[in-house]
Amino acid sequence: MYALDKAKAMQPEEVIALIEKKGLVGRGGAAYPTGRKWRACRAAQADERFIICNADEGEPGTFKDKFIIMHNPRTMVEGMLICAYAIGAKRAFIYLRGEYGYLRERLQEHVDDVVAKSGMDVSIEIVRGAGAYVCGEKTAIVQSIMGFRGCPDDSHPTVHGLWGKPTVINNVETLTCAAQAMLYDDWNPDMRMFSLSGNITNPGVYEFPLGVKMSTVVDIARPKNRLKAMSFGCFGGIMPVDYGASITSDMICKENCQHGAYSVIFIDEKQNIVDISYSIAKFYTYESCGKCTPCREGTIRVLDFLKKIRSGKGEVKDLADLKELARHIQDTSICGLGQSAGNHILTGLEHFMPDYIEYLKKKPTKA
Amino acid sequence: MKIRIEPDGGKDAAPRPMEITLDGAGVQVDGSKTLLDICKEKGIKIPTLCYHASLFPESRCRICMVEMDGKLVPACSTRPRQGSVVNTSNERVKRARQLNINLMIPKPQSCSVTDDNEICGVYNEVGIEFTRFEVLKNYKPDLGSSVIRDNNKCINCGRCVKVCAEIQGVYAIDFSSRGYSEHVSPYGGKHLADVACIRCGQCILNCPVGAISERSHIEEVREALADDSKVVVAQTAPSIRAALGELFGMGAGALVTGKMVSSLRRLGFDYVFDVNLGADMTIMEEASEFLRRFERGGTFPMITTCCPAWILMMEHFFPDLFPHMSTCKSPHEMLGMLTKTYWAKKAGIKPKDIVVVSIMPCTAKKFESTRDEMASAVDYVLTTRELGRLIKMNKVDFAKLPDENFDPALGVSTGAGAVFGASGGVMEAALRTAYEFAEGKAVSRLEFDQLRGMKGIKEGSIQIKGKEVKFACASGGMNIRKLLEVKDDYQFIEMMACPGGCIGGGGQPIYQAPDTLQKRAEAIYLADRQLPLRRSHENPVVKRIYSEFLDHPGSEKAEMLLHTSYTRRDRF
Repeated sequence: MYALDKAKAMQPEEVIALIEKKGLVGRGGAAYPTGRKWRACRAAQADERFIICNADEGEPGTFKDKFIIMHNPRTMVEGMLICAYAIGAKRAFIYLRGEYGYLRERLQEHVDDVVAKSGMDVSIEIVRGAGAYVCGEKTAIVQSIMGFRGCPDDSHPTVHGLWGKPTVINNVETLTCAAQAMLYDDWNPDMRMFSLSGNITNPGVYEFPLGVKMSTVVDIARPKNRLKAMSFGCFGGIMPVDYGASITSDMICKENCQHGAYSVIFIDEKQNIVDISYSIAKFYTYESCGKCTPCREGTIRVLDFLKKIRSGKGEVKDLADLKELARHIQDTSICGLGQSAGNHILTGLEHFMPDYIEYLKKKPTKA
Repeated sequence: MKIRIEPDGGKDAAPRPMEITLDGAGVQVDGSKTLLDICKEKGIKIPTLCYHASLFPESRCRICMVEMDGKLVPACSTRPRQGSVVNTSNERVKRARQLNINLMIPKPQSCSVTDDNEICGVYNEVGIEFTRFEVLKNYKPDLGSSVIRDNNKCINCGRCVKVCAEIQGVYAIDFSSRGYSEHVSPYGGKHLADVACIRCGQCILNCPVGAISERSHIEEVREALADDSKVVVAQTAPSIRAALGELFGMGAGALVTGKMVSSLRRLGFDYVFDVNLGADMTIMEEASEFLRRFERGGTFPMITTCCPAWILMMEHFFPDLFPHMSTCKSPHEMLGMLTKTYWAKKAGIKPKDIVVVSIMPCTAKKFESTRDEMASAVDYVLTTRELGRLIKMNKVDFAKLPDENFDPALGVSTGAGAVFGASGGVMEAALRTAYEFAEGKAVSRLEFDQLRGMKGIKEGSIQIKGKEVKFACASGGMNIRKLLEVKDDYQFIEMMACPGGCIGGGGQPIYQAPDTLQKRAEAIYLADRQLPLRRSHENPVVKRIYSEFLDHPGSEKAEMLLHTSYTRRDRF
C-alpha cells in the first residue's frame, strides 16, 4: 500500500493539493476536478464526513468499473482510504450495483483485508443497489443508502450528503486513479478506460490516452461492417464516426454529445438510428424515477412518437414536436437523467435525419 | 424519518441583500429567499401546484419554472445570486409551463361542483393549448373507505404523501413504482380501508386536482329524504356554521347558523337539531368522568375522545393508551342516540322510522358512524362540502335565505358546545363545567386564552379543590405524537387529528388563503360570545334530558347509551 503510506506521511491538506496538482478529474462522467471536491468537503463545517464509492455503473455499455472490481479492487480501496485520510472521514460506503451482486463476497474480502492491513480506523460498508439506473445519480445514491426511494433532488452532497453531512461521492475508476496519481510521478492524467461495444468483434475494456486516433480504436475494435455512428452510452448522444478524427472531449462536444465515462457503442451502416433511439427511449421510460413531470411523463411520450414513426404513420410535424419535447425534458428536469434523456433524439435528428426520413417514407405496417 | 436539511438555514437564514434583474427591472432583493417568495413580495404571480407553504419544496411538478441566467429553474426552490437575470413570463417560460401542465393532464378533467381546487386557477393562468399527448393513466379508483382516491386524476405532486407523513405523522400512503408507473398508494398496493389510515381527510384538503375525495353519501340521503315513511333528522356540527358560507361566496369566517338551518329545511329535512347540544351532553358526561377519576383516583392524563380520527390513530399506533381514554362517545353520536331513544319516545315516532344525518366537517365520522359500538345511532354523515353540493343541486339560493332556528326539542345549545369546533375548545368547555361542579362556583374567566390561537400544542393549568390540574391540547397528527411524548406532565389532554381542530377538518371547504382557519376559529368564538348561555350545565334541554331520562351523568343508562369502548388494530 505504497500510495497510502505516502499519503499518511503527508498532511491531509498536502494530499488534497497533490491530487489537485496531478489534474485528476472524475471518471463517472461529469469530469469534475477530484481535488476540488475533496477540498470543498473537508472545508464544510461538520462533525462527520462520509465517502461513497459509486459502483452503480448503470450507464448501458459501461463495464470498466466491473473490470476494476474484478481485477484490481485493492487499489480502489486504497484510493478510498487515501480520501478518508485527506478529508477526515471515518465511514465509507461502496454502492454496488444490484446486478453486480455476485461480485460482492469477493469484494468484501478484499475490502476487509486492505482496511485491516492499513491500520486505519475507517469502516467500509458495501451497500447493494436494487437495479435502478437513477440510483447512480449523486443525490439519489445518498437517498438510496439512507434507505429511501432513490429520487434525486437539488441538494449538493459534497456539502449536505448522507444524513446531512458532507459526503464525497467518487467513481470506482476515480478512486483507483487517486491512488495511482499519489504514487507515480509520471502518472498520465489523460489515460481513460474505454468500454467498447456494439457492432464490433472485439468488445471490451481498453485503456487509451485522450487524443487517440479514431482509426486506432476502430482497428482494435474490428467492426464487421463500416461504422456509421457511435453512441456514448444511452445518455451522451449519437454522432457520426469520423475515421480521420482524434478522440478528444472538444471533438465530442462539437457534435453536441457528451463523453461521459467513455463508453462507446458502435453502430454500423446496416442499422437505422431511429431503431437505436427506440431502444434508448424504452430504457429511459423504465429508468425515470418518476419524481418530476417532464421526465416521468415526457419519456413515455418520446417512446410513443418513435413508435408512431417506426410504424410508418409518422408525419413531418411529428419530428418538430418530438424535437420540442426532447428539448423540454432536457430543460425542465430535476436531474442528469432527465437532462440527458433528450440527447439521443436531438443528436439523432441533427446528424442522422436521412434515417428518420426513411421511416417517414415507409408505408404503415399492418397493425 | 426522512431528514431534509435546508442548506444555509432555510427560512431562518440570515438575509443576503443583493441586486438582480427581475423581468427587465433592476431590484434589491433578499437572496436568502427563494425566487417564488421574492416574486410574491414584488406582486409577481407564479403558478404552483406541488408547492405547500408549510412543507419543504420538492419541486416535483415543474410548473413554477422561471428563467434565471439563461436556464429554466423552479422558482419554489431556487435562490438568486448577485446580478442574476430573472425572467418570469417570457415565451420560453410560458411554453415550458404549458408543456408540463399538458404532460400531467393530457385532457381536461371533470370537476366537482363545489370544490375549489387549485388546478382550476392554474389552468387558466398557464393556458391550455391543445396538445397531442394521449391519456395514459388507467387506474382503478380506491373506493370503499371514508376517503377515496382516483389516481387517474393524480399529477404526482406528492402533497398528500408529505401531509400524511410530516404533518399528520400517519404515513398511510407513499409513492410506488418508478417512471410513468409511479403512483401514490397505501402499503403493498392495499386499499386505504385496509391499512392504518385514520380517515382524517387532510390529503383531500391538500390535493390540488381533486383526485382524493370523500366517499359520498348524497344518494343515500336523497333516497331517505324522498321516502315519505321516514322522519329525516339533520344535525349539524359546531364547525359547519363557521365555514358553509365559503361555498356560497360569503367569505371565510362568516357565521351562517341561521341560513344553514333554513337551507336544511329547504332540502326536505323534517327536523334540524344542533350537535352543539350533543357537545353539551358530552361535556356533562366527560367533566363528570374527569372529576370521578380526580376524586376516586384513576389513570391520568385523561384524554378526550370526540375525534374519531384520533381514536383510529390511538387504536392503530398507541393501543396502550386505552386506560387513559375517556369512554364518552362523540357529540353527534350522543345526540343521534338521544334522538332515537329520548326524543323518539317524546315525539311518538318509532326509532326505526328515524333517519339521522350528521352534517360534519369530518371524513372520519363516516367511518365512526359504522362502528359496531355506535349501534347505527347516526345513519349517514355528510361533509360540509357534500351539504354544499346538495344545496346547489336543489338550486337553493343560500345567500338569500332567511335565518331560522333549530327545532327546539334538541336544538338549544350553549357557547361551550359552540367552541368544540376549534382546537382547545373541548378542553375549554370541559373546564368551564368541571371547575364549577367541583368548586361550586363559576370559573373566574370563561375564555381560556391559553387554549386559543393557531399553535399546534397549547397548555395551561388551573387549581381545582386545591390541586393543580395541568391541561393541554394538540391538533394535527405530528403534534399529537409530540404531546404524547410528554403526556405524563398533564392531567387532562384534548387531541384533535386535524390541524386547527374540526374547523380544519377533512370535510370542510377546500381553501388556499392561509388565514382561513384563523377566520373560521374567530367565527366559532363569536358564536360563543353571542349565545346567552355559555356553560353546558346551564342548558335547559340538557337538564331536562337528565331529569326525565338519564337521571345523572354517569348513570347506568348514560353509560349504556352515551359511552363506548375501543378496539386494538394492527398497522396492516
